[in-house]
Amino acid sequence: MSTFVDPTLPPVIANWFATRGWSPRQHQLDVLRSYQSGASQLLIAPTGAGKTMAGFLPSLSELVDGKFQGLHTLYISPLKALAVDVHRNLSNPIDDMGLPITVEARTGDTSASKRTRQRVKPPHILLTTPEQLALLISHPHAELMFGTLRRVVLDELHALVTSKRGDLLSLGLARLAKLAPDMRITALSATVARPDLLRDWIAQPHPDRPTDLLRMIGGAPPELAILETEERLPWAGHSAKYAHRELYETIKQHKTTLLFVNTRSQAEMLFQGLWDINEDMLPIALHHGSLSVEQRRKVEAAMSDGRLKAVVCTSTLDLGIDWGDVDLVVQVGAPKGSSRMLQRIGRANHRLDEPSKALLVPSNRFEVLECEAAVEAVSENHQDSEDPHPGGYDVLAQHVLGMASAEPFFADDLYAEVTRAWPYRDLTRPKFDRVLDFVATGGYALRAYERYARLKQNLDGTWRLSHPSVAQQYRLNIGTIIEEPMVRVRLIRSKEQKRGRTTGPIGAGGRVLGEMEEYFFGTLTVGDTFIFGGEIVAFEGMKDNEAFVSRAVAQNPKIPSYMGGKFPLSTYLAERVRRLMDTPDEWGKLPNQVADWLRLQRDFSVLPRRDSLLVETFPRGTNNFLVCYPFEGRLAHQTLGMLLTRRLERMRARPLGFVASEYALAIWGLGDLSALIRTNRLSLDELFDEDMLGDDLESWLDESALMKRTFRNCAIISGLIERRHPGKEKSGRQITMSSDIIYDVLYQHEPDHILIEATRRDAARGLLDIERLGNMLARIKSHIVHKPLHQISPLAVPVMLDIGKEPIFGEARESAMADAADELLREAIGEL
Amino acid sequence: MNNAAFAQPTESPLLRFAGHNFEPLPSGALYWHARQTLLVADLHFEKMASFARRGQMLPPYDTGMTLSRLEADLRRTGARKLISLGDTFHRADSSTLLANAERLRLDAIVESVDCTWLSGNHDPAPHAIGGFCCAELELDGLTLSHEPKKGKPGLVAGHLHPAARIAMEGRTARSACFVHDNRVLILPAYGSSTGALNILSPAFFGLLNWPTVEVTMLGRDRTYPVSTKRLVRG
Repeated sequence: MSTFVDPTLPPVIANWFATRGWSPRQHQLDVLRSYQSGASQLLIAPTGAGKTMAGFLPSLSELVDGKFQGLHTLYISPLKALAVDVHRNLSNPIDDMGLPITVEARTGDTSASKRTRQRVKPPHILLTTPEQLALLISHPHAELMFGTLRRVVLDELHALVTSKRGDLLSLGLARLAKLAPDMRITALSATVARPDLLRDWIAQPHPDRPTDLLRMIGGAPPELAILETEERLPWAGHSAKYAHRELYETIKQHKTTLLFVNTRSQAEMLFQGLWDINEDMLPIALHHGSLSVEQRRKVEAAMSDGRLKAVVCTSTLDLGIDWGDVDLVVQVGAPKGSSRMLQRIGRANHRLDEPSKALLVPSNRFEVLECEAAVEAVSENHQDSEDPHPGGYDVLAQHVLGMASAEPFFADDLYAEVTRAWPYRDLTRPKFDRVLDFVATGGYALRAYERYARLKQNLDGTWRLSHPSVAQQYRLNIGTIIEEPMVRVRLIRSKEQKRGRTTGPIGAGGRVLGEMEEYFFGTLTVGDTFIFGGEIVAFEGMKDNEAFVSRAVAQNPKIPSYMGGKFPLSTYLAERVRRLMDTPDEWGKLPNQVADWLRLQRDFSVLPRRDSLLVETFPRGTNNFLVCYPFEGRLAHQTLGMLLTRRLERMRARPLGFVASEYALAIWGLGDLSALIRTNRLSLDELFDEDMLGDDLESWLDESALMKRTFRNCAIISGLIERRHPGKEKSGRQITMSSDIIYDVLYQHEPDHILIEATRRDAARGLLDIERLGNMLARIKSHIVHKPLHQISPLAVPVMLDIGKEPIFGEARESAMADAADELLREAIGEL
Repeated sequence: MNNAAFAQPTESPLLRFAGHNFEPLPSGALYWHARQTLLVADLHFEKMASFARRGQMLPPYDTGMTLSRLEADLRRTGARKLISLGDTFHRADSSTLLANAERLRLDAIVESVDCTWLSGNHDPAPHAIGGFCCAELELDGLTLSHEPKKGKPGLVAGHLHPAARIAMEGRTARSACFVHDNRVLILPAYGSSTGALNILSPAFFGLLNWPTVEVTMLGRDRTYPVSTKRLVRG
């Protein structure tokens, strides 16, 4: 680190600190010193440690004399709300000091006229998001706006680098480095597993410039405990219903409690449960991504004013504005990872010298083990955050079109520039050329679309847009956040007289409660009740893109299950859970019911060992079961289940279906698996051999719904499918259908197409989690412990209870139709 | 049921409508043994290419795939006549923009079997690809037409791209389907680039006489007549 230069703090700023009885914190001065030495820098610090000031002190110091003309600092955060909040936090000291510095925010909500003005006459400091940056650099003459730029401040960088928004941002930075060669980057991040990778990430645009890694040391270690319950811990499920009463008492004893859950359905259930027993009418609120923006803002405002006793929330509140008064964070359900847990705990008590307090509430017995592992990991301050990953080809395609919108380019130049974005530093030239070809004509082996090309080559070899309307198309479809097709949910008065009818007009209007995935309504009939936004409502009907509901009373309303939002158990915590199970000496710290359960498993079957894979087989009812315990998360287990059932089918074990949990996988079928293994007709080593990731995987991919979902995202981001066309709105449903069809057509004819390759890469890391499955298969190779049993084992109980609750996989589609046809036949011959 | 007279080339069950027996194929075509006629609806040739024209470069393979499907069905059934129930082309001018190879394959079909192309809303005007173009066709007491209309008995049509979703003990399956009642029979869309609409959705309201409805879903290698009480939306 460049410690030899003394940071120069202009007197007006030093005085401002002094009149408040403050002095600049060490890490704030460190950033200033590093910047003034000519370096870029990454500051690792917890939330609310005066990070904003650390990020902006160098800008204020340089702008204090009022001589600078043009845009000086670009601030980029993942949240629109954060940009607005920082605007306020920054304007106050600037006004106090009477500094001649202009600060403006630019988000999707900024008026068109203001945005145009900002490009022509930018403020000194502009606060914005990665998407807005992409838009700005896609305009011709972007160098006029950014030529003066000295600094880029990246907030919450840890949250961006693991997503496609991070890819988009990295490409934007590579362009900025070209437009403004003097620009230096200051990145702010929470603690991560590999800070060196984050530093490299921001260093890549200017590889020759020094980049310092600064850490804020200190802060009291958090106090973390697991709820000690008097109740019976459930075997399975995620409702944590047993703990509602105890949680309610805990909320009463604290000033303000933040209750984190992992999914929106859990949030709805917990919120409903707490209100059912809320005799004291405590102000408890709900916050999740499906609620309307106004509703969420209302909750956030009430929270800032200290008017709430508790908020039940999902990852929507992982980042964002600091609330000073939260004195307890509760995690209901599995913590999933140590870093995630540490960041959530960091949402409580922002006074650094006092410890943050957090309580873990497992919702079933396996989660007790996971919570225990998390407590240890947190006390060791162990980080297991995801590393930044290689960039997606779909995002690159979007960027290439954006750069063509800015001005004609030489492929050589753009390739060189793109490799200065960290996620694309290893991109090969042939791959880049294929992406370019894709953007121009779709990149198909059958050169059918030359006449419709979006990019054409000029005589001098530069690439240009074939028509200005392409730029308009690009701007309407920018960004990497893809949402499920959603419908707006409106509350109307019940139409009792229409009950039971499936048709009939519905009046427009009614308050918007929020948005929900369209597919959920496909499962409802008029009159069905469900929970939404903490209220029980009845489905009244649909019109265009809106669903109408009315208030209702019901004993057993449905709870919508939402796609996504389920983070897998981190590899690190999984390893700790396996170790804990394998170390009976440590069971003393577990609740008795859990320790007894493990002892029972030890006596009745065997315990899963740390370095091997336990496979149990047993008969139950008319089926035979195979249950294994890889502890690799639901996604990897689903993929494993798909591949194993294919193999069992071939080995004539007649599998029927499977269900996957975070910890285990259960497969059932007609064949007597124990006997097949005993008589060497079925080898577990062969069954679990890594080669399943070859042909078996390949033949499954062409029909996998998960691949199709991943493809849809890639197709939209890359611009193959438009979200919006000038003058036309396309509904999500149409996109979903057509993207499946496009996938089928493309996969059959060009399985090596760049977009299929992009999909495969994303799926391997995402919904299919093939990477993790591959690592697991390598780890357990020739370490499989088979235990044939006469009946279900204690450890198998939770996953067996999931059967019927969780979706079942297998040859469901054809078999469902075949069974329906058989049923019709039986009807016809009078059996039914 | 009088099906002893028919040779059964596949396992698919027969579909009986307006006094005639048809064989519904898993491809979405309907084979009429008695007249050695293959009926198809909504081929939508050149659909992807018409998107490319607007700047969305969708894969240009859909026309070829639909042609392959059609060639295979003609070969397997030995049909001597082909009737396409409209929307053969996605756009009115698509027939003039076919790639050379695909044009040749289509010509070969027109030469080998007797082709009738009904007009559809996507391709209302006659196209110059050989065969016979007309708006509607009366045949053995049946009316063949693109759009299904209520009231006319014995109507065979396409246009709506019917699909069904069934729920069976926790499993669900969705696929394109044939749907018919005592008056109208609607074919699934045959084109490889076509989507499909659930027969419980508003587009079908008032069209079907529900107590007499029968649904035949397309499976991988066969078709499945399914019980209407298993139908769900979505």
